[in-house]
Amino acid sequence: MDNYSGSGTATDQTLPTKKLHLKHVAKSFGGRKVVDIEDLTLGCCGIEGLIGPNGAGKTTLMSIITHGLKSDSGEVFYYPNNCEVEISNMRLDEIARLGIVKTNQIIQDFASLTIRDSLLLSLSTPKYERFYKIFSEGALRKEAEEEIEGYLEYFHFENPEGYALSAGEKKLLDIIRCLLLKPKFLLMDEPMAGLPEDQMRKVMDLMMKKTSEEDLSILIVEHDLDVIWEVCESVHFMAEGKVLFQGSPAEIRDHKTVVEKYLGSSHV
Amino acid sequence: MSFLTNVLVIALTEQAPLILAAVGFTLIFYLNGFINVAYAENITLGAYFAVVFNTIMGLNFYLTIIPAALLSGLVSVITFLLVFRPALKRGVGKAEMIVLSVGLSFFMRYATKLAFGAQLRLFDIAKPSYWMVFGTGVTSYQITALALVVAIAVGLYLFIYKTNYGEIMRALANDENLALVSGINPTKVSVLIWFIAGVAGGLAGVFFGVTSFVQYIMGWDLILIVIMISIVGGIGNVRGALIAGFGAGFITVAVTLLTKPLYAQVVLLLLFIGALKARGLQRVRG
Amino acid sequence: MAYFIFGFSTMVMFVALAVLLHLQFGVTGIVNFGIAGFWGLGMYSFGVFLVHFGFPYAVSLLLATALTGVLAFALGWVILDMDGQAVLVATLAFATIVMHLVTTEKWLTEGVKGLGTIRYPFDLGRSTEAVFLLIVVVITIAIILYAYKLHSAPYGRLLLAIKDNETLARSLSKPTFHQKLIFFTITSTVMGFLGALNGSINQFLIPRMLGPGVTFTVWIALILGGYRRVLGGLIGAVAAIGLFDLVIETYTPIPAAYAQMVPAIKLMLYGLTLMLVILFRPLGILGDRKRSYLHG
Repeated sequence: MDNYSGSGTATDQTLPTKKLHLKHVAKSFGGRKVVDIEDLTLGCCGIEGLIGPNGAGKTTLMSIITHGLKSDSGEVFYYPNNCEVEISNMRLDEIARLGIVKTNQIIQDFASLTIRDSLLLSLSTPKYERFYKIFSEGALRKEAEEEIEGYLEYFHFENPEGYALSAGEKKLLDIIRCLLLKPKFLLMDEPMAGLPEDQMRKVMDLMMKKTSEEDLSILIVEHDLDVIWEVCESVHFMAEGKVLFQGSPAEIRDHKTVVEKYLGSSHV
Repeated sequence: MSFLTNVLVIALTEQAPLILAAVGFTLIFYLNGFINVAYAENITLGAYFAVVFNTIMGLNFYLTIIPAALLSGLVSVITFLLVFRPALKRGVGKAEMIVLSVGLSFFMRYATKLAFGAQLRLFDIAKPSYWMVFGTGVTSYQITALALVVAIAVGLYLFIYKTNYGEIMRALANDENLALVSGINPTKVSVLIWFIAGVAGGLAGVFFGVTSFVQYIMGWDLILIVIMISIVGGIGNVRGALIAGFGAGFITVAVTLLTKPLYAQVVLLLLFIGALKARGLQRVRG
Repeated sequence: MAYFIFGFSTMVMFVALAVLLHLQFGVTGIVNFGIAGFWGLGMYSFGVFLVHFGFPYAVSLLLATALTGVLAFALGWVILDMDGQAVLVATLAFATIVMHLVTTEKWLTEGVKGLGTIRYPFDLGRSTEAVFLLIVVVITIAIILYAYKLHSAPYGRLLLAIKDNETLARSLSKPTFHQKLIFFTITSTVMGFLGALNGSINQFLIPRMLGPGVTFTVWIALILGGYRRVLGGLIGAVAAIGLFDLVIETYTPIPAAYAQMVPAIKLMLYGLTLMLVILFRPLGILGDRKRSYLHG
């Protein structure tokens, strides 16, 4: 379903119930325009890919959507269930509460928290997070047990009472934390980097399972194109701050300009 | 109108040393990225050095200026080499660095109190000659202070913006690894900057001391305002520190003349909190 | 004996303040250098309500605590989205403002002449001070128990996450500013409450009590003992204050000529200790914590 130059009303029954719409979004760093999006709609399908050469602005774009970064101009709209919400002026945590969440390209972690702690933090809701609720740990653990054990087992975390040590573990933890929030939109910024082969496989299977079973859309930035071709239903190609082309994996793979600018002869 | 000129003249002459302190402070802040509360003791010690040379060794006031300045610079460099550089090397975070500097400040302040006593000390100076500027009386010492402030400010300005060293300092402040690769010796440059900052602080102390009195707590009383001037003027911005310093001086004098000295402090501190919010060390908002 | 009770009460006060600072700094990452401001505000406003306005003890206590709470909230609202350095100097500025205003508003606070006499809430003859001290000890123990429980609660985990990586916590939908603000307000309000109680212990208030020495002493106690540990403040306070105020000042015979110098020597050594700890053992005597778990 090609929604590249989508209009903004979503009354069509065949469209999914949520999407993100970016209008005239621009961001410059030191005089150089890093992101320059006229009109972009995301959320057409389960998993969308965003590819492009280094410096194309992919990470910046995702940061702007979740508001880790403020754009210089433009608006971002979110359409859950046919309502319109302008998220461009919302804060990082507000956008996350709406269900739009991003994993981190550069590894981020909580130094004081063990693996289990991190997961419990993610699952903990405001009703547990009050200064007088100091006896709620038991209740939280009970509520969270099934889900957490599920993930710990699926990814074979050897020592959940310990700290995430390797880059791979921290990356996985980052992803699971985001998934535990039950997001509507998950933005993944190079999630596979640093993961061993078997864990990569598990993440991809999980992504495909979740998007088909739950109300989740994923936008994934990846340099490992095998991942993109396999999991994505739709791919956007970005270069020099602009999203130039969009189509199915097969279409993008064979696209002349994409091949020239990015894939080169070393790929495909 | 005459109130205004009155305030202007007093601000310029009375508060000139404050501007000097701010300029020195902002350099270290820029170079190393943390607030050095112990700079307060640079100011205090500068005053004590001068007053000791003057009252105990009997030197004429104007002759004490240079030795006091040099010794202050030396003290500053020592604190850098013995305390701050090792801490930075150990990866102590910015907030912890200030706490460290607070520790150093208390250490130096109370060592000074033990060494010199708690009493106010006055310079042994000849009665100053008075000049009338726009109807306000200023002493010759205040004029000298002002002249020195201007000279040093201009000198620093040229140093930072016109010579190699300024660029080097900026390179070091922004990216130490890159600077190293470009062949800059960070230690030499850092020592130089800390020396200059120490001299500026010490001179500020000397002139505060000669126009009022010297006490172990004088630097500490000033340091918050110095920090504020630095932040408002822009960290590392010598020109900004000059303007903000003058502004702070102006407000101090105006409020003091209208009400009480402590109210001037309260007003400045409230403005300080406001300045932090507007200008200062804010997180990237997300 | 009365002097011992006074000295011990002061130490217990500092232990309580240090545990509160542990909660603010060690757990949440808020660099509060305005402890003297909140504590002093509670103390002086209590004195003003009690002595100047003549309100009953409990009412004065309540008003003083509430006033501190309001100002803590206001200050927190302004500064808590700034980084550690800014929070440090802003809270220090706040404490300085409180100290200055207590001096200038003589019509309320009697300024440097001093405010008194602040009585105890009850009169049990000779045991009054001891019973009051007991109350303060109980309150301190309650604070310590709260802090302990917090460490194994979801809320505590959230605060630690905020300290470690606030942006990451926000990206996980946590309203960190709001949470920091609430927690800062509550803990600072307790500081104010303790200050009010300290009014009775001291009986007579002077502005100098709100000087930087108080804040600094609490910090040195916490850093020395270990800022990540609940008992860090206790260990540090006992080591730093107990040693000096109780042991040396009470029991060591110091020739009169040097007696004047003791406070200065104390602060000098505190400064030196603070530097040494940060340089060589930043986590203090107790070091880091091994997080232990309670299951179910």
